[in-house]
Amino acid sequence: MRGNDIVDMATAALESNWKRKGFLEKIFTPQEQQYIKRAASPGEMVWKLWSMKEAAYKVYTRQFGGRFFAPLRSSCTITTESNDSVAIGNIIYQTRTTFTEDYIYSVAKPVAAKDSFIADHCFRIPVSAQTKQQEFIYKELIARYSELTGNKKNGLAIIKNEFGVPFLYCNKERSAIPISITHHGHYAAFTIN
Amino acid sequence: MNTEELMESLKKVVKPYVKSEEGFKNITASSDLINDLKINSANLIDVILDIENEFDIVIDNASMEKMLTVGSAIDIITTKLNEK
Repeated sequence: MRGNDIVDMATAALESNWKRKGFLEKIFTPQEQQYIKRAASPGEMVWKLWSMKEAAYKVYTRQFGGRFFAPLRSSCTITTESNDSVAIGNIIYQTRTTFTEDYIYSVAKPVAAKDSFIADHCFRIPVSAQTKQQEFIYKELIARYSELTGNKKNGLAIIKNEFGVPFLYCNKERSAIPISITHHGHYAAFTIN
Repeated sequence: MNTEELMESLKKVVKPYVKSEEGFKNITASSDLINDLKINSANLIDVILDIENEFDIVIDNASMEKMLTVGSAIDIITTKLNEK
């Protein structure tokens, strides 16, 4: 099982002011605030830590159910690029973050997980209307899943449950293969595993 | 402030962050801030900070965790206003 989160840097710059009074304190632990303070690019560190937390939260709620908005319940540890982690209570998630000029993207998985990993795909969304964007993302995911598994595209659908968690359906039956979808501004990504 | 007045003030606070006009037009206490109003999760922090400023209250972490719908936000604001 994976959880992922993408931050479109242009959208973040436009829509979020992480420098506003009280913002960092509502999201980040004192240790995380230190990471931000010491970073060569504090803005990048803000969104890296944020995406790590969001990615880990997605795995956590898929494992244990429920929904909550509590950025301070998760705490990030940054070591080397490939060895970052997020703790939510006693549960540790390993995260990997990718940087490009346009986006920051994190994927989280339980430390002990040895699940088979099929796909992890990041892409630009060429449309702006919100409903069109979702359509585009779902189409991409279904095309990739169909390509990988040989299932026919027209038998595949993506449906969200009551908590907003997406599931793949093959011929109206829920697939056992977990997916995770993230979307921000003009970028999106999905994992299939 | 009664619930109706609270709702009006809250609508003003969330409006700049709402991405679904449809959701905003049909706003009720059960509207989900993320799933119905399509507020992105980073902007939820802005909503919370704006609520703190607007109503001159402090929203602690335990209250923040529950702030997922318009109704829960109204409940939390009411509780905090009564504590003042």
